[in-house]
Order: sequence, then C-alpha cells, then structure tokens
Amino acid sequence: MMELETALVFPKTPRNGLRSAGVHAGGSTPSFEAETREPVSEPAFHKSGKLEDFEEIILPHLNAAYNLARWLLRNEQDAQDVVQEASLRAYRFFDGYKGGDAKAWLLTIVRNTSLTWRRRAKRDASNVLFDEVVHGAPADAPNAEERMVDADKTTALRNCIEALPTEYREVLILREFEEMSYKRIAETVGLPVGTVMSRLSRARQRLEACIGGRRAGAEK
Amino acid sequence: MNCVLSRELMGAYLDEELEPGLRTEIQGHLAECRGCTEAYSRLLDQKADIRSSAPHYKAPAVLTESVRTVLHREAALENAASKPNRNWRWMALAASILLLVSIGWNLVLVRSRPADRDALAESLLSSHVSSLIGTHLLDVPSSDQHTVKPWFNGKLDFSPDVKDLTGQGFPLIGGRIEYLSSRTVAVLVFRRRQHVINLFIWPATPAGSDPSQYSRKGFNLVHWNMGGMTYWAISDITVTELQQFRDLYEM
Repeated sequence: MMELETALVFPKTPRNGLRSAGVHAGGSTPSFEAETREPVSEPAFHKSGKLEDFEEIILPHLNAAYNLARWLLRNEQDAQDVVQEASLRAYRFFDGYKGGDAKAWLLTIVRNTSLTWRRRAKRDASNVLFDEVVHGAPADAPNAEERMVDADKTTALRNCIEALPTEYREVLILREFEEMSYKRIAETVGLPVGTVMSRLSRARQRLEACIGGRRAGAEK
Repeated sequence: MNCVLSRELMGAYLDEELEPGLRTEIQGHLAECRGCTEAYSRLLDQKADIRSSAPHYKAPAVLTESVRTVLHREAALENAASKPNRNWRWMALAASILLLVSIGWNLVLVRSRPADRDALAESLLSSHVSSLIGTHLLDVPSSDQHTVKPWFNGKLDFSPDVKDLTGQGFPLIGGRIEYLSSRTVAVLVFRRRQHVINLFIWPATPAGSDPSQYSRKGFNLVHWNMGGMTYWAISDITVTELQQFRDLYEM
C-alpha cells in the first residue's frame, strides 16, 4: 500500500488558528503547545481551581470523546467505561496540559484508552468474538418510505464505518465527525501527516465500496 | 496527473489540505477526466451523507454525571493528599532554617570557645616564655619605631602599627616575627622597668574575639582589637599596668 509523503500536504493553518505542536508519539500523555488557553488562576497552587479549569476547558469535549470511543469500540457500555477512565486519566495529566487544542488533547487520551481497552478485552477469553461481532442493527422502521430510506442509509453508513479496520476508522471519525485538520489528527494518532492522508483516502474508498456493495445486494 | 494519483489525492483536495501546486494539478485533471470527476462527486456525496445520516453519538447524561462524580472524588483525594504535603514542605523549610541557624550559632560558639582561646593563650604564653629564655627575642633590635615598622615590610602581609611609648614608661626595644595560630604575626617588644612586654599583632578575623584578659602561670594577657588588628599583650607586669599599656597604645 502506498503511503504518501508528508511533503505532498500543504501545511495550511488549521481552522481554529492554532499552530500545531510536535507530533505526539502515540504513547501516554499528549502535549500540545499553549496558545489559546485562557489564563488560568494559579493551577499549580490552587487545587480546587484545577477541577474548575478542567470542567471549563476539557469537559465541553465530552461528546466528542464519547463519539470517538463509541465508534472505536462499537459498543455503548464499553464506550462509557472508556470515556470515564479516559476522563480520569486526562484529569491526572491535566497539570501537563500546557494549553492548545483541548479537544485534540482529550481525544488523544480517549483514543489511547480505547485501544488499550480493546487489547485488554481481546485478551479475555470470554471476548473472543469482540471484533467480529456486528453490534445489533436497529430494527427497520417500515412506517414511511422516506424514513425507511433514511434509516437504511444510516444503518448502511454505520455498519460500513464499523466494518473498517480501526486504523482507517479512527482517522475517518476524527476527520468527518470532529473536522480536525490532518495535522491535529496526526498528533492524536501519533502518525506522520502523510500517513494520515493516505489512510483517510483508503478509508473513504473502502467505505464507498462497502456502501456500493450493500446497495447492489439490496437491489438483487 | 494520472487517475491513480488523482483518486489518492482527491480526499485531501476536498479537505483543503493539499499544497497549492497539487491543488492546481488536480483541478486541471478533474476538468479533463470524466471518471475522476464522478469519483470526486461520489466523495462529496459520501461526506454529506456522513454528516447528515451517520450516527453522531452524544455522551449520555448518565455518563456526564458519572464523569463529574469521578472527577470530584479525584479532586477531593488530591486535595487531601496535597495538604500533608504542603505541611511537609513547610516543616522541611522550617527544619532547614533551624539547622542553618544552629550551625551558624555553633560556628560562633566554636570560634570563641574557651578551649580555643585557651589554646591561643597557651601558644602566646609559650612564645612569650621562649622569647625570654632563648635567643629569639628580637629580629630587629631598635628603639626607633621608624626602623622597626619598615623592617616588617615584605615579611608580613600586613603592616602593624608601631608606637614608641618611651615617654609613658614603655620603651620600644625591637620587633620580631612569629608563627602562631597558623599564620605569621608581628611581635613588638617593649620594656617596663626590668620586665618585657610582648605585643602580638595580626589582622583580626571577621568573627574576631572580644577584648579580654587572662592570667596564666603568673603572666598576664590583655587582648583588644583596633583598626582591624588583633592585639595580644603579654607580660609579667600587673594587669593594671598591662591595661595602662593597652590604653596608651589605643590612643
């Protein structure tokens, strides 16, 4: 598979006006440089202020955190557990948060926590089918034709996105749902921008093929 | 630009992440290639479909609630844990200060400790006694202060104040150099009737000792500081006379 060079990508200014930080190497605590973070009242000395800062800066991105975990784990309960665990980890790392893109910072932790969770689940003997299980499609609603078409589209999209390999799925979610720049995505998943670009391209092609295949199957 | 590269870069073009040169090339290719134009159109549709129809999951209220609960508990734990730490820090600081003060105080005590003074007095005494019984009383025998003072030049790293108190009954008879308390010191020798007075002079240390007087083995010692110098006068004359000598010298 061809992975594009980073040089092909025009280093455009991310939409939120932030300069990007060094690429995060997929590990534990992410770091983004301080630029837009509001001045915080003595975070190091005033411990009760830390919680208030965290609630103000990080918690607004809880929906994004849940959405990513939900897509990565394809399961509501796991996603909730992971988001809770990731929030706690984020809070503990919060002293190391130097400002910058708070959503990308939180999503990096959510992503790492999700992948750890999956590895742990796979190790458990009772979860052999974890990756293979297609989580229950909702019952079709056959009341109105239009709604049924919408429901079909939603189901097809969900099943096809969920069927993507995780490394394609995560970049697609970060791009299409969170509308993050390639650079921010690269930081979050700990990969070069060129790799993000090529994975995203691959993800879209697979998604198109999957939906096209379903449509063709339905027409038979 | 061929179709393979075009399909590869199409997404980045759509996301406005492509550098200007490639952007122009893709635009040129799309204008000519019907297949790629259709593919691009499907990509646009896919993006729109995801936006409109794919599930955008929102954190359930119960999750938001439990996250807040967990965070508040963690914050409470952190506060509880940090308070003793803060106390520890203050205690450590206080202990350090106490230690420094105690070390400093002990240094002061050590400097002026009686034992050390006794040692100094002992060495002054033995120097005085040996100067009397031996031959080394005078390196420069002269009653002229203008002979004695220049003699010290180049032999000491300081210049002692040489006074002739002949008119007051303490004639100067000369001077010598001694090694005492790990340094060279100037010794001026005066006479009081048939008695000899050795006056030891060296630069005072910053924590110099206080003026004092001693009696030891029938000898009297009087100590004072003046003009950055330490003076020790030792003789077998009475303390009163020795103090008189000191007063004259201090004038």
